[in-house]
Amino acid sequence: MKFDFVVLGATGEEGNIASKDLLESGYSVLLCGRNKSRVKNLLEYKKAKFVYVDLNNVEKTASILKKSGAKIAVNCAELRMNINAMKACLISGLHYLDLGGLQEMTIQQYKLDKDFKKRKLTALLGCGSTPGISNVMAAYAVNKMDSVEHIEVGFAWDSNIKKFILPYSIESIVHELTTDPIVLDNGKFKKTKACTFEGVLKFKGIEKQNTYCIVHSEVFTFKRYFGKKGLKFVHYKAGFPKHSFRVLDMIIKLGFGSKEPIKINGISLRPIDFTREVLKKINRPREYKETEDIWIKVYGKSNGNPRKIEMDCLVKTLNGWENYGSNINTGMSISIMAQMLNKNLIKKYGITAPEEAVLSAPFFGELNKRKIFVYEDNKKIN
Amino acid sequence: MKTIGILGLGSMGKIIAKDLAKTYNGKIIYLAREINSVKSLAKKYNAEIRYADVSKPKTLVKAFNGIDVLIHAVHHEFNLDVMEACLKSKTNYIDLGGLYHYTKKQLKLNNQFQKANLTAIIGMGASPGITNVLAKYASKFLDKIENIEIKIGYKDFSTYKQISPLSASYSMQTILEEFSWKPAVFINGKIKFVEPISGREEYNFPEPIGMQKPQYTIHSEIATLPYTLKAKNVSFKIAFDDDFVDKIKMLKENGFISDEKIKINNNEFNIKEVSAEILKKLPKTISEKINQYEIIRVILSNKHKKIIMDVKIKGVGETIDKDTGVPPSIIAQMIVDGKIKDKGVFPPESVILGEYFFKELAKRRIYIYKNNKRIN
Repeated sequence: MKFDFVVLGATGEEGNIASKDLLESGYSVLLCGRNKSRVKNLLEYKKAKFVYVDLNNVEKTASILKKSGAKIAVNCAELRMNINAMKACLISGLHYLDLGGLQEMTIQQYKLDKDFKKRKLTALLGCGSTPGISNVMAAYAVNKMDSVEHIEVGFAWDSNIKKFILPYSIESIVHELTTDPIVLDNGKFKKTKACTFEGVLKFKGIEKQNTYCIVHSEVFTFKRYFGKKGLKFVHYKAGFPKHSFRVLDMIIKLGFGSKEPIKINGISLRPIDFTREVLKKINRPREYKETEDIWIKVYGKSNGNPRKIEMDCLVKTLNGWENYGSNINTGMSISIMAQMLNKNLIKKYGITAPEEAVLSAPFFGELNKRKIFVYEDNKKIN
Repeated sequence: MKTIGILGLGSMGKIIAKDLAKTYNGKIIYLAREINSVKSLAKKYNAEIRYADVSKPKTLVKAFNGIDVLIHAVHHEFNLDVMEACLKSKTNYIDLGGLYHYTKKQLKLNNQFQKANLTAIIGMGASPGITNVLAKYASKFLDKIENIEIKIGYKDFSTYKQISPLSASYSMQTILEEFSWKPAVFINGKIKFVEPISGREEYNFPEPIGMQKPQYTIHSEIATLPYTLKAKNVSFKIAFDDDFVDKIKMLKENGFISDEKIKINNNEFNIKEVSAEILKKLPKTISEKINQYEIIRVILSNKHKKIIMDVKIKGVGETIDKDTGVPPSIIAQMIVDGKIKDKGVFPPESVILGEYFFKELAKRRIYIYKNNKRIN
């Protein structure tokens, strides 16, 4: 069987969402991962097949990619696997999309630009909700201005039932909350302290929330793509509801986010791998619903006058997708971008990012079909 | 010259070792899995070292050879294995408690210890241990016992160089068990298992401890006192500070102290065991000046009378954990000196006479009060 798409890390939550969206859109998908039991729901689709893939083995992954017959690989695995996944794509000749690499990994990934260009392949980085939707919204706003000075970007979410549900990859969360982030300050990258409190902000559909400065790839790519418009300041702000932040903070403080292996009856185990599996056992309660706002504020000038554009992308738990909460915006976004690449709506070779390569109008249109709504200065635009 | 052995030289084992070194003239043997880790202690206190691994019962019988009384200071899940080994090696036995469920099983070995002409005293730390003896002592002043309430309060005025994110004064594994196993409460003549961390109500301990919120916790006293002292209601509560409870509750609510197994990279792990190991790796608390207080309160009452027994421990310059490490040292010496002659498996209240034991505690600055008046 020849496949339209390969999804790496289909066994994780985002991989599952992206695969389901591709399958629902009528495409055939080769589901790759290490635990078949996690894709049972997807194997009910006729056009889906599972294959065991360990991204630590680049050669073997490349051979599976090649045999799949697909042109595009959608990487939803943990971000530390991004380089391996990209190398496998280079060997097998597949276009590549992923969910982002925060800052350090993103910088490493851009070093493969020439290799992708040489092979006439596209590598679109950071295609989820944030990075992803946030970047397309940023480009939409920046394009309306003559110059841009300052961008604030982030996410905020909450749930109707205040029970802890892992919002996204624990590995990414621990990395984001413990790594000293880089902000763009007066045109220069500057390190600040991890998870500094950035104040209480009010968000569309969510109300007030504490925000924290965390490491994210947008700071790096916005400078790259909007620098020529004069961009001098970028701050990334994450908003977690109190009940969720309290648990995440304790998990980190009590050592459950550590990557340092410990010995249990002679067997080596990383606490974070243990934590991931324990938290996966928590089920969303019935009637549990989430709302997430991916937001961006762009400050600049238009026709010589100061201008501010506020963009919001609002998602709520959807019928038929209850098990994924508001995380659907990440998996659906990468699925839409992969489909746009498949339809030649993305034409750039080499390493690129959504703010450079993804056309906002068709992208926002596809979000609307999935009940994910985009607002410009509080007015719905899709 | 009689020989006393200590199995396990963890934090409690070390306190027992210190007390024996100071107060016992006979031979002392340390039994440890990692001999190198106890070498300097053995040198300091002039003790012999033998290899013993509780997870390998065969090593125990050989290691116990020639030991008159063994104090078991490893985790309670090994109590039964160690007792079986003591039966084979003809060694008297003391431990620090069986967290109710193990205690029940241990009591069933009574006939075998009787037949072997051996004494086993189970749950002989501070609580269980001193609490049981206090209850027995107070029972003499009541015709009929309706209620036994045990409450433990603690306050720390120490200054620290470094504070651990989760500092515990005893085994992390025991704490996780205490917070996850349903506590047994004896109500109206029947055992009832209530929710963990329940019954958390304000209670005013004598100063300097003051207001605390003790909670029901699974404990050995409930396995024996209702029957040995024929009480109608028996409960055990211990107070932890809000921050500590909050953190353990978070772990519990999110599945980190479950008894279930979890598969990771084709290996199976016990969730609670892994969590305990992760917590053990946290940076340790380093004290500058220790200044801690603990009150262990045992209240016996009926409709007409109430007796309040308190153990007050002031830890200035040394931690208050000595109240758990000292009793087994005293009792081991009472066995080798022939002061305890009963054969079988006993909870402390069945064989220990208060007066002599209390005097020994006073020598170690652990004081007993009856209705606020010091009696030792």
